[in-house]
Amino acid sequence: MTPASPRNQLLYGTLDLLILRTLVYGPAHGHAIAGHIQRVSEDALRIETGSLYPALHRLEARGWIAAKWKTSDKGKRARYYRLTRTGRRQLVVEQSRWQQLSVAVTRVLRPAE
Amino acid sequence: MLRVLYNRLRSIWHRRQKDAELDEEIRFHLAEEVEERVDAGLAPEQARAETQRDFGNVLLTRELTREAWGWAPVERLLQDIGSAFRMMRRNTGYTCAVVLTLALGIGLNAPMYEMLSRLFLLPPPHIEDPGAVHRVWLSERNDSDDRGVFTGPAIPWDRMQWSEFSALNADNALVGSVVGYTAPRSTPNGRGQTAENLRVSWVTGEFLDLLGVEPTIGRLIGPEDDDAAATPVAVVSDGYQRASFTSPQEALGATLEFDDVTYIVVGVLPPGFSGPDPDGVDVWLPLEPAVTALRGDRWRNSGFYLRPLVRLPRGLTVEAAGAAATAAVRAARADSRFRDSLDPEATVVLGSILRTRGPSSPSGEIRLALVVGGVTLLVLLIATVNMSNLLLVRVAARRRELAVRNALGAGRWGVGRLLAIESLVLATVSGAVALAVAAVAGRTLRLTLLPEHQGTVDALNFTAVGFTGFAVLAVGLCAAIAPAVYAARSRQIERLDSSRGASTLGTPVRTGLIVVQAALSLVLLSGTAVFYRSFEAARQVDVGYAKENLVTVDLAGFRRTGPLDEAAIDALESRLRSLPDVLDVAQGTNSPMWGWAAMPGPRVEGLDRLPFNEGPYVGLTTSNFFRVAGLAIVEGRGFTEWDRAETQKVAVVDTTFAHGVWPGRSAVGQCLFFGETSTDCTTVVGVVESALDRGLLDADRAAVYYLPISQASSNPIQAGFVNNMRTLVVRTRRNTARAVQPTLLALADLFPDLPRDNVRSLQTVFAPRIRTWTIGTGLFGASAALAVLLAAIGLYAVIAFGVRQHELEFGIRRALGARSSRLLRMVLARGFFLAAAGVVAGTLAALWAGRFVEPLLFDGRTPRDPLAFAAAALVLLTIAVMASFLPARRASRADPRQALEAE
Repeated sequence: MTPASPRNQLLYGTLDLLILRTLVYGPAHGHAIAGHIQRVSEDALRIETGSLYPALHRLEARGWIAAKWKTSDKGKRARYYRLTRTGRRQLVVEQSRWQQLSVAVTRVLRPAE
Repeated sequence: MLRVLYNRLRSIWHRRQKDAELDEEIRFHLAEEVEERVDAGLAPEQARAETQRDFGNVLLTRELTREAWGWAPVERLLQDIGSAFRMMRRNTGYTCAVVLTLALGIGLNAPMYEMLSRLFLLPPPHIEDPGAVHRVWLSERNDSDDRGVFTGPAIPWDRMQWSEFSALNADNALVGSVVGYTAPRSTPNGRGQTAENLRVSWVTGEFLDLLGVEPTIGRLIGPEDDDAAATPVAVVSDGYQRASFTSPQEALGATLEFDDVTYIVVGVLPPGFSGPDPDGVDVWLPLEPAVTALRGDRWRNSGFYLRPLVRLPRGLTVEAAGAAATAAVRAARADSRFRDSLDPEATVVLGSILRTRGPSSPSGEIRLALVVGGVTLLVLLIATVNMSNLLLVRVAARRRELAVRNALGAGRWGVGRLLAIESLVLATVSGAVALAVAAVAGRTLRLTLLPEHQGTVDALNFTAVGFTGFAVLAVGLCAAIAPAVYAARSRQIERLDSSRGASTLGTPVRTGLIVVQAALSLVLLSGTAVFYRSFEAARQVDVGYAKENLVTVDLAGFRRTGPLDEAAIDALESRLRSLPDVLDVAQGTNSPMWGWAAMPGPRVEGLDRLPFNEGPYVGLTTSNFFRVAGLAIVEGRGFTEWDRAETQKVAVVDTTFAHGVWPGRSAVGQCLFFGETSTDCTTVVGVVESALDRGLLDADRAAVYYLPISQASSNPIQAGFVNNMRTLVVRTRRNTARAVQPTLLALADLFPDLPRDNVRSLQTVFAPRIRTWTIGTGLFGASAALAVLLAAIGLYAVIAFGVRQHELEFGIRRALGARSSRLLRMVLARGFFLAAAGVVAGTLAALWAGRFVEPLLFDGRTPRDPLAFAAAALVLLTIAVMASFLPARRASRADPRQALEAE
């Protein structure tokens, strides 16, 4: 559908998984999502904003997450995203796909075992 | 899925709002980021700068995000459509040419397709479970010489004698429920010249019920109505109700009069219902009252035919039912009084309710409709090729624009998509015009091709509109294939700087398309020639009668009690003689080119029976009949005033009779004997040329003998003929049109009961016989003219384009001393050879396609007619040379100075 942006340095599709996973903890705005991923991955994953917002809007268009304008803790208007029911289901699917992929990659890297 | 769609749609509608929201969202993100960095100890200025750097291109992020909303493809599409419309506006001439040809192509095909699908594909409307209703075909062999020997192939008929039909019905439980109907017959409603001819079909009591049609108002004809003693009722079609009454309620209780019986309308059928055939029917009558009125009480034994239909019960196969019906028919034949003349091995086969899907080979009318369908399809093909070619020329002319698009990253698909969309937009606009063409042409086509099949169908119905939509899509995409492939593959398009290198762009493809166009044109041209040859041959067939300026007034043909009123006939004859446009009037018992009657006999010495399959027929005439009708006396004499009751009995025979009975001998002086035992010799005094009352071939000339009316009184059978049948044959001065009106007036005074149709000009009687070739020539001719015009335009465009591209080269050639006539010849030759290639390909195609046309041609003429092909090739090559002449002259006048300067 939408071509992968040249800035997307994550494996295509992985960002979606990370966003969905992050939102399991509750609604968050874009900046918070990026910050969370960066923190949890201990700075290993830096989310480019050039990929983040297209991804958020794409997930929203697919109905996996929903957005709502709310006032942030600091009293500013921010767009909060939350996981929808289909999004939750999708997360399970994406997660298991990722696990399969990572197992497969691991096998390739260590073929002797 | 729905939610996704909803979001997409919403995002399109709320685009502006979403744009603002996205801005705000990104601003918030940036502000948060700055704040975070300030919190981490950076100076606000530096924090802002770093944030900006890390965030990257805000515009691009926004652009990418917008694409995620999903309306980008829609927006691109709208842009492309807009660009297509701008292109059309800039090139009005080109657009008009394409739209016009394509609209004609599609607009003619839509009603053709609708018509053919109604004949071959779609079950008739308003019939419940039409798959279970079957047409009953009876296959039987011919008894060619009437001696009880059945030979030749079995010919299937979808009609059956009453006695056999009843046999099927007696075995009802076995076969299913069998009903019958008659083919619609044009019948005057009431008497006299004001009576309107309605198309009437007679049906058995269960017929309408079996089809499962529901009346829009009133009731159907039921079994209780199918009884000669019942009150005669009628059911009318929706079309007739609309034409004759203000409301369906008004139609109920109205009366109709056919063959002197008054019928009360008890129901109106739904719109579009025409029974099991596409033939239009105005009125449905119960069989028994109707047939009794026309044929009397003994109609069951008088060879009355009707078309049976059967609805098979669930579980009964077509084969089993057919076998049961075959057994029933054979049993009935074995018991019949006429069993010697009936094929004892006749078989019954059940077929689809669609007549055209049955076992009989298609009638000429249906075949012609199919051929015309093929021709209109060719026109559409030519229009598509033409549009493809014009698009291609435009691609070549626009290579700079396309190169720019390419350079901007439109990609091969992008350019291809643009062309496809331009092509589709053009096709869609043409489709809209095509609907108008279809609305106008549809009715005309239907009326000309299948005058009998006038069901109540709207000019534009679902099938026609659906076809148009489909054709638009197919044509739009097909026409774009060649240009798009070429544009995508061409490397040179990527060269922005190409000024001269691109001169050969797409030339092979375009040349190929021109050859295809020329070939298709040749097919149509040769078709025109082939049909025209048949048309001319058929038109010039000598029917015997001098049919120009001849009018017949048929005084029989109406139910009557008692003999004809001789006084009224004499009065009518003298009224007609007094008309300024009438030259002479004769009388006869037969109506020329209309019908014949036969009576027992005559006997001839030395022959058990006369050697004719049918006839001989008899005509009793006045003495001036042959002269007035224009039948030439070949030998001996015609009748004279002196052939009277008391003089020697005389006869005149026609050449078919003479050659059949007395081969190699003169008929004059021979004897005919009338009556079983009579030995009174009726002397043959003359031989007259054989008339073609039916058909067009020499084999259709029936054997006829003529007797003078003045001698008929002594023979009761002959006297009966004279008393009941009479036609006035009227020779007019100039064209018959001026004589017809006063004749009708005189007829209205003296024979007020007779309908208008009884006054006939022989030319109008003859015209339908050559209809196939009139229509074939006209349609092929019109299509060929259109095709040749398009091919000429295409050829001109290609040659002119080539000359423009090579102008420099021509200039150099001239500078080097080439004569201008040589250059002229060179370019003309190119046009000629392109067309010649088309002639070769087209000839091969036409030779192959000839098989479809062959059965339609007059008297076994071949579609592989060398003269027709030669004429077609000549026309095409001449037009090709003419189309290349202008560009050729331009090439021959190329300026050598200009060429040298450019170098």
